[in-house]
Amino acid sequence: MAQLGFYINNDYCTGCKACVVACKDKNDNEVGVNFRRVYEHSEGDYVERDHAVIQNIQTFFTSISCNHCENPKCVEGCPTGAMYKREEDGVVLVDHDKCVGCKYCVWNCPYGAPQYNEVLGKMTKCDFCIDLISAGENPACVGSCPMRAIEYGPIEELRAKYGNVSDIKGLPNSSITKPNLVITAHRNAK
Amino acid sequence: MHEWSLLIFTLCMQAAIGGTVMLLIFYKKLSKLDPEQQFHVMKLPLVVIAGLSLIGLAASFTHLGSPENALNTIRHLGSSWMSREILVTGMFIAVACGAAGLAFIQKKVNVWLLAAGAVIGLFDIYCMGAIYYNTLVSGWNSINTYTSFYGTAFVLGPILIVSLLVPFLKAKNEELAQAFVKNAFYIALGGIAIQLIGVAIFGITAPEVNQIAGVNVMDALEGYQTTVAIRWMIEIIGIFFIGYLSIAMNKKIPIYFAYGALAVLIFAEGMSRYVFYVMGA
Repeated sequence: MAQLGFYINNDYCTGCKACVVACKDKNDNEVGVNFRRVYEHSEGDYVERDHAVIQNIQTFFTSISCNHCENPKCVEGCPTGAMYKREEDGVVLVDHDKCVGCKYCVWNCPYGAPQYNEVLGKMTKCDFCIDLISAGENPACVGSCPMRAIEYGPIEELRAKYGNVSDIKGLPNSSITKPNLVITAHRNAK
Repeated sequence: MHEWSLLIFTLCMQAAIGGTVMLLIFYKKLSKLDPEQQFHVMKLPLVVIAGLSLIGLAASFTHLGSPENALNTIRHLGSSWMSREILVTGMFIAVACGAAGLAFIQKKVNVWLLAAGAVIGLFDIYCMGAIYYNTLVSGWNSINTYTSFYGTAFVLGPILIVSLLVPFLKAKNEELAQAFVKNAFYIALGGIAIQLIGVAIFGITAPEVNQIAGVNVMDALEGYQTTVAIRWMIEIIGIFFIGYLSIAMNKKIPIYFAYGALAVLIFAEGMSRYVFYVMGA
């Protein structure tokens, strides 16, 4: 099976966070543990001109989870080998039998994907809903998006369909870990 | 800042490593004493070094969410600096405890174990630095990380050893005691110089933000200017204490000047390390 990846239509995303809630619900995560997060990026200001106050505020939202990177720094740095990249589809997973809960992967991931679970004392993260995928369903975030702004599939297919953009405003440089992510950028995110 | 475990771990280990290096440096001069006297003078520093490394080890365990899996942490030596550091730290602790234990059994200090401890320890500090240097946290991927860690070892190590050696040595060989205080003073100055090089480079490097929710280090530290200033003032006072002791020891300056210097410098280095971990908070 080919490397899996996500496609995010940044232009469609309204920041409703349905994907965050669906993911949280599916994984039964504690408060503060979010495998998928939506980041708001705002810039600009209000300026006074003559007797009017004019704004040039620009805002867009980016939904991000683990990007199951080509060169995952979390895997490279993990001292136990608990963080690993599955051969068949390139999904990055945590083996809880090995994880020591050192949180080093948090400092190594550009996308904030590793989420520490205080109750378990282990690192947790997006597993691409591999159980749902193997049952022929969509990952929770993909299925829940009311704007159909999130898709998944073999990354080469997504790139052939939507292009190669994975660098937009507010995201770390993709050269660090080579994320398996394709984005259609919002006009203010380019 | 919620990395108190790592703060205690790094400070204890670096003080223990600096102390081991100092004991090795002082060993030749101490070998002028007869072996029994030498053991008598060196036993407390050896025990304190072993104790500090064990306190560091215990602190590092409190950082882990699942310490029962601790043995797994040396399974990824091929690419993980943390794995390498844990192995090398374990080796240092084994050697430090071995040196102390063997000294008590044989009633003499094994210089080869001291030398092995010093070499392993210095490499261990490099590994500790590499752990942070290789992360994406703004401010940690700077040469300042290495200089800060080595600087701590060369500031705390000498003062620690002098505070432990001199009270026993003063009665037996005052000249030697004074020479040690002087050496410790110069080496501690060297430690501060190493830290200053890192700080100077840090100041002229444009910080990068490579994490999606990361904060530029300059913004992260904006509220800590007073802490940094107080830290340096305290550090200078500590060094002044030991410097004064080194030139005025024969004027019956009480030895608690050295203890004062040690306490002040531990506090200063603790503040420095606190600010270091604020970057990653």
